[in-house]
Amino acid sequence: MTPAVSTDRSVVHARGLTMTYGDVDVLHGIDLDIHRGEIFALLGPNGAGKTTTVEILEGFRQRSAGEVRVLGADPQRGDDAWRGRIGLVLQSWRDHGRWRVAELLAHFATYYPDPRDPAELLALTGLTDQADQQVDRLSGGRRRRLDVALGIVGRPELLFLDEPTTGFDPEARREFHVLVERLARDEGVTVLLTTHDLAEAERLADRIAMLVSGRIRACGTPSELARRAAARAEVRWTADDGTPRRERTGDPSRLVWELHRDADGPIPGLEVRRPTLEDTYLHMVHQEDDDADGDVGGEARTA
Amino acid sequence: MKGTHVTNEADATGRTRTPRRPTRSSWRAGLLRGGIELRHLLRNPKEMSGHLTNVVVALLVAAYISDDVPGTQTPMGHLALAGFAAYLLFQIGLINLPQMLVTEREEGVLLRLRATPGGIPAYLVAKCLLLVVVAVGTLALLLGAAALLVDGPLPRGGGDWLTLLWVTTLGLLAVVPLGAAIGAVLPNPREALALIVLPTMGLLMTSGAVFPITSLPVPVQQVAAVFPLKWMAQGLRSALLPDAARTAEPAGSWELPMVALVLAAWAVVGFLLAVPLLRRAARRESGSRLAARHRKAAGSGSVPA
Repeated sequence: MTPAVSTDRSVVHARGLTMTYGDVDVLHGIDLDIHRGEIFALLGPNGAGKTTTVEILEGFRQRSAGEVRVLGADPQRGDDAWRGRIGLVLQSWRDHGRWRVAELLAHFATYYPDPRDPAELLALTGLTDQADQQVDRLSGGRRRRLDVALGIVGRPELLFLDEPTTGFDPEARREFHVLVERLARDEGVTVLLTTHDLAEAERLADRIAMLVSGRIRACGTPSELARRAAARAEVRWTADDGTPRRERTGDPSRLVWELHRDADGPIPGLEVRRPTLEDTYLHMVHQEDDDADGDVGGEARTA
Repeated sequence: MKGTHVTNEADATGRTRTPRRPTRSSWRAGLLRGGIELRHLLRNPKEMSGHLTNVVVALLVAAYISDDVPGTQTPMGHLALAGFAAYLLFQIGLINLPQMLVTEREEGVLLRLRATPGGIPAYLVAKCLLLVVVAVGTLALLLGAAALLVDGPLPRGGGDWLTLLWVTTLGLLAVVPLGAAIGAVLPNPREALALIVLPTMGLLMTSGAVFPITSLPVPVQQVAAVFPLKWMAQGLRSALLPDAARTAEPAGSWELPMVALVLAAWAVVGFLLAVPLLRRAARRESGSRLAARHRKAAGSGSVPA
């Protein structure tokens, strides 16, 4: 297409990305690398800094510090040609309510040098039957699929999806996931998805970055993260004085063997659990909550 | 010092370059967009009736008044119609336009166009086309219907038509950029209406648009003379009323150079305000701001989610 397309595998590259509002640090030096053609999920609870991160990458917000390249350019200086190479789907759009679906899509096609065919896009997003419908009469799920159609009408290399399935019923969510997968697998679009839903991230993403309180706490493929999460098993048992005990360890069988030896027999209430990715994620989120409260929490956590 | 930190994209060094000079493709997209918006307007009974009601009210008032303008043979209805014509232009620029801008900003139209290459210039082109067509259409409808139904005034001769043309053009140039600047700073559609309608009504009453300005106290006249409406109405009267009617003007003449000067001054002020304010409004748009506004609107229960 354009000669500006770099052969570089890295579509998004951020180092030490920092954002400060007044005296409050929202992002504490984030490093991100998103490769061409992958679906990358930025996973985190509300208020973790996902939207701030994405808006900086979209060129809508000025960062306080750090180095950022998106499609080879600094988003703060992105010009129209650069804008034409990215697509956005935000959760808050309810614009152009009076327009008809096909009319709106055909109109936005005129802004791009090499747009997709609107009829093809309607078929891709499953909106062919709604082509003549007024936009504000669409259901939430269809409205979001129209937003995706508008987001990709200019053949973007990078598509931002900001919490795209918030408020969807399971059926609409499943259909949306299929669409996003098709975009990435068949159309080669790089997707940056933000979500607070681990299941969604695991279902869709090639790689997940967990963003909690403005820091990337873990980053990798879902299976890598799961393996890492399971690496430290949790051993629970009942101590001699009847109190429940638990310990996290990388070598649970050794701990169990020692406990067995010390008790000189069966260990009462013994349980060995390999934490799932979800356990780890919730643990991270809650740990941050506890830290924020300045409270260690009721149960003792042994290292 | 920490205080020097850039904490807000509004004080960006201006490198985002969002609204820039329209290129040929954004002219084209803008004209297409203006055409589609115009079609939507014509198909929207609620908005159309808003514009038509003004015309009907003006016709009823003109038909109802039977006096002459004091000291002249000109029917008072003609003076009122010229005043309404000026007020219609004034309203399109200073009420309809800001409302449109605030509403579309709130819905995310501005953000979507900001995210689209050439989108903001195309938006401005479309809005200009829409406003000009609506203004000319309403004016033609008012004067045409008045001439047919209530023996309303029409320009006599080429000179009067020319005056009508330049006063309308300069009048729009005076109010449209100003309206855009207002639309860029108003908080939300719910408060916007209250904030603009009252001052506008006040000006309508004090500008001598619908009854002779000489019947008002002098200080009120002086305040009204600062604003464009008085001069738009005066300019349109000069185009629509017979020359003899100028004896009823405060200055005893049409003061056309002054009309041109005041309207041109407002046009300049409007442009100087509108360009940076629109730039700022477009630059401030982001998904999280939009979401925050929607949450607020949903909280106050005035916008269905």
